[in-house]
Amino acid sequence: MTAPHNPRFAWLTDPGDRGLAIMLLAPLALLVTLIVVYPVLRLFYTSLFDHSLTSGLPPRFVGLQNFGLMLDDPTFWTTLKNTLLITLVTVPGALIMGLAMALMANMPFKYHWPVRLSLLIPWALPLAFAGLIFAWFFHSEYGVVNDILRRFGFQPVIWFNSPGWSMTAICLTVIWKTSSFMALILLAGLQTIPRSLYEAADVDGAGKLRQFWEITLPLLRPAIAVALIFRTITALQTFDIPYTMTAGGPGGSTATLAMYIHQNTVSFLDLGYGSALAVVMFLLSMLVTVLYLRMIRARG
Amino acid sequence: MASVSFDKLSKNYGTSQVVDGIDLDIADGEFLVLVGPSGSGKSTVLRMLAGLEAVTSGEIRIGGQRVNHLQPRQRDIAMVFQDYALYPHKTVRENLGFGLKVRGIPGDEAQRRIIDAADMLGIAQLLDRRPGQLSGGQRQRVAMGRAIVRRPQVFLFDEPLSNLDAKLRGQVRTEIKRLHQALGTTIIYVTHDQVEAMTLADRIVILRGGAIEQVGTPDQIYNTPANIFVGGFIGAPAMNFLPARIAGHVAHAADGLSFDLSQLGAIPQGDVVLGMRPEHIRAGSGAGIDFSGIVQVVEPLGADTLVHIGIGDATVTARLEPTQKPKPGQRVQLNIAPGHIHVFDAVTERAML
Repeated sequence: MTAPHNPRFAWLTDPGDRGLAIMLLAPLALLVTLIVVYPVLRLFYTSLFDHSLTSGLPPRFVGLQNFGLMLDDPTFWTTLKNTLLITLVTVPGALIMGLAMALMANMPFKYHWPVRLSLLIPWALPLAFAGLIFAWFFHSEYGVVNDILRRFGFQPVIWFNSPGWSMTAICLTVIWKTSSFMALILLAGLQTIPRSLYEAADVDGAGKLRQFWEITLPLLRPAIAVALIFRTITALQTFDIPYTMTAGGPGGSTATLAMYIHQNTVSFLDLGYGSALAVVMFLLSMLVTVLYLRMIRARG
Repeated sequence: MASVSFDKLSKNYGTSQVVDGIDLDIADGEFLVLVGPSGSGKSTVLRMLAGLEAVTSGEIRIGGQRVNHLQPRQRDIAMVFQDYALYPHKTVRENLGFGLKVRGIPGDEAQRRIIDAADMLGIAQLLDRRPGQLSGGQRQRVAMGRAIVRRPQVFLFDEPLSNLDAKLRGQVRTEIKRLHQALGTTIIYVTHDQVEAMTLADRIVILRGGAIEQVGTPDQIYNTPANIFVGGFIGAPAMNFLPARIAGHVAHAADGLSFDLSQLGAIPQGDVVLGMRPEHIRAGSGAGIDFSGIVQVVEPLGADTLVHIGIGDATVTARLEPTQKPKPGQRVQLNIAPGHIHVFDAVTERAML
């Protein structure tokens, strides 16, 4: 039997390794192109235009003008500073809390499920819910936090009246909300460390603290790096919790870059400037990812 | 160096008894092998000695001192694990030196010990590599080195050769024996491999179901197995067993086969199981006890030939000279010296002769 044969499409009828690989990867590549590559490229494109839906004017190409405006925009700098502050506080905070939780969850409990469940619940909770719940916790009159402070003889704090206390409340909430995600990744990492290493260290004479520093921490490094990448990127995009807790107040002192992007694009319908802000956030995330990946590779 | 003793040592996991009242004294400098099938409790005994498992009841003493309550690090033992348990992020040098560093052995002394051990094991050129860059045999050596540098009172080996291929296993086995001869330290070695047990041990302890079946030198275990289990467990190919009934001085096995046991001394009576090792069965008729059967399968091994012979319903394996090449279906004449017949009680399975 001879079929019409077009050598250009030979790999479709007789897929070798290469043809098969292309065919298997194509659906995913298409999907990623549609939902990641195209929107990002479109974002870059839009950021080069003066494109405000309220003006009634057609989009006008302005080059890098939007980025120039940003440099003179104090709100941009405030929200960027707030975002970086939340990132710098909550990422290490969640790492330490998550590590402690993972170490506890990895202990030989008779029943594992209550421990695992209590890890999962904060993670499964929507961010906005967490924000609303904690807004009540930190409520100056009815909040449980002030109630505890009073019982221990401290002055209650009016959390959402001062920038510093507002930011503190937000950071604590973010840490609570995100620690469990850290803990889950780190727990998975902990479970890949063979028990015999700890037994060997027991026999070698190392105590528990020494085992933590000499075995657990070094072998957990890849899991820590992965957790840090994910957590840092989501921290740079922090939106829901400050939005629901303080709406950026008092006086815009707790607004984040993501909230400012939202305000410009959704509230002000200024797509050009909003896109330019989003490009900055994208580049920031890329930078963090590249730095972490380099760190992992360098330590091999 | 130290002696080790177990006194009514037991271990339960919930209701299941894993180790059942073991009494054993191990002399200073002895090479003792614990051998048994999986689930026999051999590893549990070793792990209790190391302090990695709690003792349910009974007592463990190292050098006369009760150690039940001591942490592993307080027992002055070193252990070679089945999966080697090398620290993957540390170099070979750091792996060897970890136990010394933790115990506060000064740097130059530690370095000297590391070099000595590395030289002894032939891994001196690997000191700056990580375990991931080593072959299985090299990792095994590093694991042994980590034990050696510590200069402990007792070495514990938990199936150390089971992850190596057959050729390497033979080499490392020889090295372990050489090591024991050089260091003279007490070694307690767990394996399921009867060849390792026979070749390495000063004394073998055969365990089954958490209890000791027999303790003895390799010679004693091989030549005078205490029961059917030991007889069948040690020796390859395994001992042949034939159910028989002894009346007078004749053992009647199935299918009219009979063995004249008159050359043996006191002959037990009644239902027994006869045990014959394949290597003690000879071709032809001779001075021993004659019998015959039909050849079923022939397996030439080069050095000798395994012949599976049907005798009634039973199959007997004989290890014959390589010059013997019987054909399947052929009737062969065989004989065995009376001293090589083991007689076990059919009910208790214990050796009667």
